Amino acid sequence: MRIEGIVIIPSMCRGCRSCQLACSYVRHGVFNPAKSVIVMDREVETDHTVPVILPLSCDLCGGNPACLRACPYGAIVANTEHTSYKILVQT
Amino acid sequence: MPRPGYWTVFVDLSSGEVTREPVETQANQDLLGGCGVGWKLAADHLLARADPLSPDNKIIINPGLLVGTLTPGTPKTTSITKYPTYASDDERFYVGASTVGGRYFGVALNRAGCQHLVISGKAPSPVYLRIRDEKIELVDAEDLWGRGIEEVTNELVREEGPETGVMVIGTAGENLVRNALSIVDKTNSLGRGGLGAVMGSKNLKAIAVNGSGDVEVENPEAFFNFSQELRERVYQWPKRDHWIKLGLAAGWDTFKHTQYPGIWPKSEWDELYGEKTRLATVEEVIACNSCILSCRLKWKIKGGEYDGEVGYGSPFSKSATSGMLLGVKDFRKMIHIVADANSNSGMDFYTTTRIIDFATKMYEMGRLGKEDTGGLKLRRDYDTYLKLYQMMIKREGFGDVLADGWHRLKKEFGLDPQEYWYAGICKGMDFIYDARPSNFHPLMMSFFTRTRPHHGGSHTRTNSRNKTMEEIREQVEAWGLPQEVIDRIFTEAPYCGSFNVGRYTKHMEDMMRVKNSLGLCSIYSYQGLIFGHDMARLYNAATGESLTADELIKCGERISNFAKLVNVREGFSREDDKVPELWFRPMDTPEGRIEMHDYFNTKVITKEDAGKMLDDYYQERGWDVRTGTPTPEKLKELGLEKYSSKQNQTALA
Repeated sequence: MRIEGIVIIPSMCRGCRSCQLACSYVRHGVFNPAKSVIVMDREVETDHTVPVILPLSCDLCGGNPACLRACPYGAIVANTEHTSYKILVQT
Repeated sequence: MPRPGYWTVFVDLSSGEVTREPVETQANQDLLGGCGVGWKLAADHLLARADPLSPDNKIIINPGLLVGTLTPGTPKTTSITKYPTYASDDERFYVGASTVGGRYFGVALNRAGCQHLVISGKAPSPVYLRIRDEKIELVDAEDLWGRGIEEVTNELVREEGPETGVMVIGTAGENLVRNALSIVDKTNSLGRGGLGAVMGSKNLKAIAVNGSGDVEVENPEAFFNFSQELRERVYQWPKRDHWIKLGLAAGWDTFKHTQYPGIWPKSEWDELYGEKTRLATVEEVIACNSCILSCRLKWKIKGGEYDGEVGYGSPFSKSATSGMLLGVKDFRKMIHIVADANSNSGMDFYTTTRIIDFATKMYEMGRLGKEDTGGLKLRRDYDTYLKLYQMMIKREGFGDVLADGWHRLKKEFGLDPQEYWYAGICKGMDFIYDARPSNFHPLMMSFFTRTRPHHGGSHTRTNSRNKTMEEIREQVEAWGLPQEVIDRIFTEAPYCGSFNVGRYTKHMEDMMRVKNSLGLCSIYSYQGLIFGHDMARLYNAATGESLTADELIKCGERISNFAKLVNVREGFSREDDKVPELWFRPMDTPEGRIEMHDYFNTKVITKEDAGKMLDDYYQERGWDVRTGTPTPEKLKELGLEKYSSKQNQTALA
């Protein structure tokens, strides 16, 4: 199924960075968080992390987002209801 | 930017000089990169018989080859040094490797092209080592000295940026407490045996790393596809849901049998320290880089005098065992000490609480008196434990004796640590497990056969006692061991039953060297999810080599021999690979008498039985059974003949 939108659920992120690594691999064939279109927001005191996807650079991998497939903890999931939004962040 | 290269970086803290050398291709091929090459560096650069707390000692830090890739669970970095724990009555010290995961540190080293970091000398005043790709420098750390681990980590991340990996010591390391650890990325401890004190002796408060390069693999498509396959396999693991809910707090049902100190009934222990208390306290489970299981914990104490206290790490199992030993029934009080050890001082909770247990018990029995403790009355109560903990960190009064560990208690007061009643001691280190409740399983054996007496990194399926013979056999087949080796492991003998722990341990240790070199966390081998064949496929796709699993394990064997050789020149031999006497004495517990049995619980293991399994271990290694050291033939077979101990000693002299 082609995925038209994704939702980021910040509370589910555990900081493994699988999303960034998959993204950089798909885009550049290397593992490098800086070459992904995801910035990991790291809250220094609590050490909690949240993936922030740069909407203008992200094309959802043509409907099969690598980040979603790589996330082991359900922090990036498909948005099947509001597909007019490419990237939503659950608040 | 591509990775700057594949480098060994040498940092001399005395002069501030930083140099770098490319890693030889041959060394990489023979030793798999990572800690394998790290052990060669130790053999080439560590001065034999040097004082571990002198500028002559070195710290060699090696991120695993696959650290920074998407392969599940490859965050591990290995640190090799000479540890300051007194390992013998004549004051020898072992050289050992300890491993650590984390979210940032190892990845940043690999991305900075800093695959091996060799730190030597002593800075004239406190510094931290700042690595920003190829720009490596020492930064004044006077303002960080004397401050706690979490506070300093936060400050360095704010200063250096959100991608920064941090390895830092607390006040225990600064004060040269011989069991002091370092803490990586706030959540992971590194260096049981005193790596923190080695850093302290060098005036090195922290290492803060940023790297911007790519982590590349030779055959990206094959590597990525197989990594995906492994991830799918791990997702199918039936226990994954429970594991990701509790991380290292999972497993109480196994733990309460294998690590039972035998003082309270198990039902009472269950009530005071069991899964219920864990579920009530865990706030978050944190993953290391690329880990799809995750085990690190963020937790919060609720209620009691430490209400609201938050900490990182894995406090539950260690607090449960020490809580019973010390008779502290409120788990929150024990977790409070773990919190301080992880986030502030960097004390090793295990060793510290057990030394406190021993000293207070000795006082109670009249074998220590006020004249020995500087006038301090050692009661068996929590306030005294807390006071002794603080005194150890500061090396204040009697705390100075305790900070030097078991050996000094023996030297000054004639209190033999071998009399300690739980888990036993080998090469100066107290074990975390006890082979009586655990059975004589391979992890127990590796406690005393490994150069550094600690279990970290060795985990395989046999570390708990409920596995079937078929399951163990399937595992060693998937490791890629040849059939004749497998047959030897499962040949019945009167001293070990139908599972020869001695022979198995040799291969388990070699697998551990492979995992450490690649950076693969042992959680995945412990749970039977990733095996030797898998590691060979990953390694080949990453490097372009074409090794079989058996050849990969051969590299692991080569690394094990390097580690042994380095310790042979420190004077270690079979005499030091001793089973703790304590294990041969029964534990009388409320659950009945517990004796040390073989893995399948068919017989009590005697001293003679254990000796025969040790013979088998050395024989499986191809070492001299009498001395427990590598033979010239074995070294030749592994291409290490130039490191044979005699020549090596001469070269160093």
